[in-house]
Amino acid sequence: MAHKWGMAVDLDRCTGCGACVTACHAENNIPTVGPEQAARGRAMHWIRVERYWEGDFPDVRLKFRPVMCQQCDAAPCEPVCPTYASHHTEDGLNAQVYNRCIGTRYCANACPYNVRFFDFFNPQWPKPLQLQLNPDVSVREVGVMEKCTFCVQRISAAQIDAKANKKELKDGDVKPACVQSCSAKALVFGDLNDPESEVARLARSPRGSKLLEDLGTLPNVTYLERQTQV
Amino acid sequence: MDRRDFIKLTAVTGTTATLASCGNPEHQLIRFVPDEDLVPGVAEWKPSVCPMCSAGCGVTARVMEADVETVRNGQSGVVKMGVAKKLEGQADSPINHGGLCARGQAAIQITYHPDRITQPMKRSGARGSGDFKPVSWDEAIAELVSHLDALAAAGDQKSLAYVARPRPNRRMVLAAEFVVGFGAPAPYGFEPFDDRVLRLANAMSWAKEQLATVDLARARFVISFGADFLGTWNSPVAQSFGYGAMRQARPGVRGAFVQVESRMSLTGASADHWIPVKPGTEGVLALGLAHVILANKLRPATTGPVAESIAGWSNGLSDYTPARVEQITGVAASRVERLARELTDVSPAVAIVGGAPLAHTNGLFTALAVNALSELLGAANAPGGLYFTPGRDTSHPAAFTADVFNRAKVLLLDNANPIYGSPKATKVREALDKVPFIASFGSFVDDTSVHADLLLPDHSFLESWVDSMPESGSIEAVTIVAGPVMKPLHNTRSTVDVLIEVAGKLKSPIALPWKTAEEVAKSAGPPSPAVQRVQPPMNRHHTKAQYEEPFFDGEASQYPLHFQPYLSSQFGDGSAANLPWLQEMPDPLTSAMWSSWVEINPQTAARAQIAQGDLIEITSQHGSVRAPAMIFPGIAPDVVAMPVGNGHETFTRYASNRGANPIAILAPLTVEPTGSLAWAATRVKIARAGGNDGSLIMFAGEMREHPHEHETR
Repeated sequence: MAHKWGMAVDLDRCTGCGACVTACHAENNIPTVGPEQAARGRAMHWIRVERYWEGDFPDVRLKFRPVMCQQCDAAPCEPVCPTYASHHTEDGLNAQVYNRCIGTRYCANACPYNVRFFDFFNPQWPKPLQLQLNPDVSVREVGVMEKCTFCVQRISAAQIDAKANKKELKDGDVKPACVQSCSAKALVFGDLNDPESEVARLARSPRGSKLLEDLGTLPNVTYLERQTQV
Repeated sequence: MDRRDFIKLTAVTGTTATLASCGNPEHQLIRFVPDEDLVPGVAEWKPSVCPMCSAGCGVTARVMEADVETVRNGQSGVVKMGVAKKLEGQADSPINHGGLCARGQAAIQITYHPDRITQPMKRSGARGSGDFKPVSWDEAIAELVSHLDALAAAGDQKSLAYVARPRPNRRMVLAAEFVVGFGAPAPYGFEPFDDRVLRLANAMSWAKEQLATVDLARARFVISFGADFLGTWNSPVAQSFGYGAMRQARPGVRGAFVQVESRMSLTGASADHWIPVKPGTEGVLALGLAHVILANKLRPATTGPVAESIAGWSNGLSDYTPARVEQITGVAASRVERLARELTDVSPAVAIVGGAPLAHTNGLFTALAVNALSELLGAANAPGGLYFTPGRDTSHPAAFTADVFNRAKVLLLDNANPIYGSPKATKVREALDKVPFIASFGSFVDDTSVHADLLLPDHSFLESWVDSMPESGSIEAVTIVAGPVMKPLHNTRSTVDVLIEVAGKLKSPIALPWKTAEEVAKSAGPPSPAVQRVQPPMNRHHTKAQYEEPFFDGEASQYPLHFQPYLSSQFGDGSAANLPWLQEMPDPLTSAMWSSWVEINPQTAARAQIAQGDLIEITSQHGSVRAPAMIFPGIAPDVVAMPVGNGHETFTRYASNRGANPIAILAPLTVEPTGSLAWAATRVKIARAGGNDGSLIMFAGEMREHPHEHETR
């Protein structure tokens, strides 16, 4: 059976620390744009930690929510792309083919989660910072749209490794960089088509919900609500 | 010829072309041949230790082949070598269990930083000008040796000072052997916001002069007094792992968590209940809870050193009735009662303390009070409570003060940045200016090392033998030793090797038990007796802690607001501000990037007609700084807070002259008897100094691609 990759985010474990944000930069060759461009809204973070304040001092609460591409089954970004750069893969990912992208940015307009980022410039890594680049991930040039891929290079690597060693891919063999870095183990990744997988189990949790699910986008990321203590 | 030889040959051919213009390429050639068995495109994983804080998280580096422009033996060329591509937490590390925080992830940028010092340098301009000229290692070491020999010839060995950013590793032991062997005082440790107060309290309460490992995973109730244990305090990754397990790893059991502090920290945001108290009164709340527990016999009354350290314990802490606690702390009496019952309804429960509560003049009382509450809850050395990792309660370096610089004639700086981390009022800068000779081992020119006469750049941690014996984070003692992950990129030298070489070249050589950095890292055994212990100066059997009002610098009428600097999630104590990933990482609580800011309660801001982003002048009795306003719901109306991290005068292209340094305007008050800076004891006033100048950069708030265009300054 084909895989259907999904993620679960346990907001009761998430501390908002931001390790996932930096891990994603390290894994996916995401450029830093610098303060001037960041001030113009051009900073790129494929995963971000959203924060929601509730109440007023002293009865004030803050809730965190890491948000990355929700890899929707009915993704609004896909049908609007004139070049099929944004498309759906067999294992359920919203993929982006950089070579096809002509930078219309229709997909970013269509995405309700605001997780697509446009390369306004060619990225720069003052030497020798370029040595940190991950050779498994292409560097995007000016004029293309980029976004979270669920670390598709890690999925491929694990599949190739399993095939080479004549093994079945086990639950937990694939970990995107954000999941790998998470100290509190708030992020879980796996195959939703495997009912025994940890992510499938969490996706069935009564605490679970999808982000903006009434839009009908059918996301493959499940958020498990933070609990409250009396 | 097998494939590997073929690859080597290819590398040789490639470098021959690069070196065609050199005089005698075949002599140099051998140095450019990779001797690693790396297959192009295939990654190897090598272990190391994260250098960013004292937690000592185990990391693995993904090493792959790359073309590196480098200098070998004075010749520049391109060499194929294995380089680190990414750092990940070591899955089997008992400290971090595979996780790694944002600072740890970004540590790889230390190695590849474009402004790293690539070779030894000597000052060529005026002190502090930042003008340095390259010198050879032989010259550099000869210069250091000559200054040390001059001290020895004058019989003035004690005027050598070694100031380090303390780390629980054998490099500190070697440094101690070196300077004590020379005849100088043991190395001084400098951390802007250290944990000396808590270590002393733990020594008095439990005879362990060390930070505890909190067994969060098994706890049912955690009450934390100001400890940012998920962000910057103690062993944050270990504690985040335990926290996740505490919340959701036990079917049907979810541990509860209450945070007591006056400015919501990253940790406070995760609390079930966040309880703000008046700054400096946290210990009163702790003893108020203990009073209710004792009065209602919710737990058996404790005796022994912990109880005896608190005045009035034996008569049930009658000074700390809920009504009195309400008066002092501002927490309602009914809430004190309820909280005490909640704490004792489940077991195990634990109380921890750290951060701002210990940075008031009465910090030691607060630490002892929370320790006593923890003891009463049965948390000492118990599952779900506090453990002291065995064998790790010694060898904390002596505290740095400006006096160290005043006495020093030769100063060795080892990654410490006291100019950034000390209040201006402590006159550390003036004292440093008078030190006749300064050598720095750090990899960057920072606020302090810009004043150095000699730069002796160390390898990065990925290029070095590393080790760590963290004092907490795991119930079992952990020792990590790892070899270099990659070869050095630049003409740098391991500081450990430099010290060993200098020791041998002195006119009267220092006998050291090791010959190489590798031997030092691999040497097991007890810590050196040369490293001084901070002796608990209070006699625990005679002096009993009781609440005294904290002293605040600045009259309340003139300086109406408490000022609370805090260690930031991105930059820690500021030593990570040079890394671009961390500058552009949105702050978890505000989403600010590349900025400094001052957090103000919405009511306070409204009263002063301050809007988000307005430029604010924050003034204490000791100076003022300017930063944009951040309207922040999680802070008391009479408190303003600023993140530590930015505001460096000199710290690479990414951090120099960016933002403001809150430490600069702090009062030079200390927490007695430790001498630690009472960094939460300064009062300030704020004034609107201008409108939004665009210096507050946030990730959230505006539609991307339709940014509000700020007016140019």
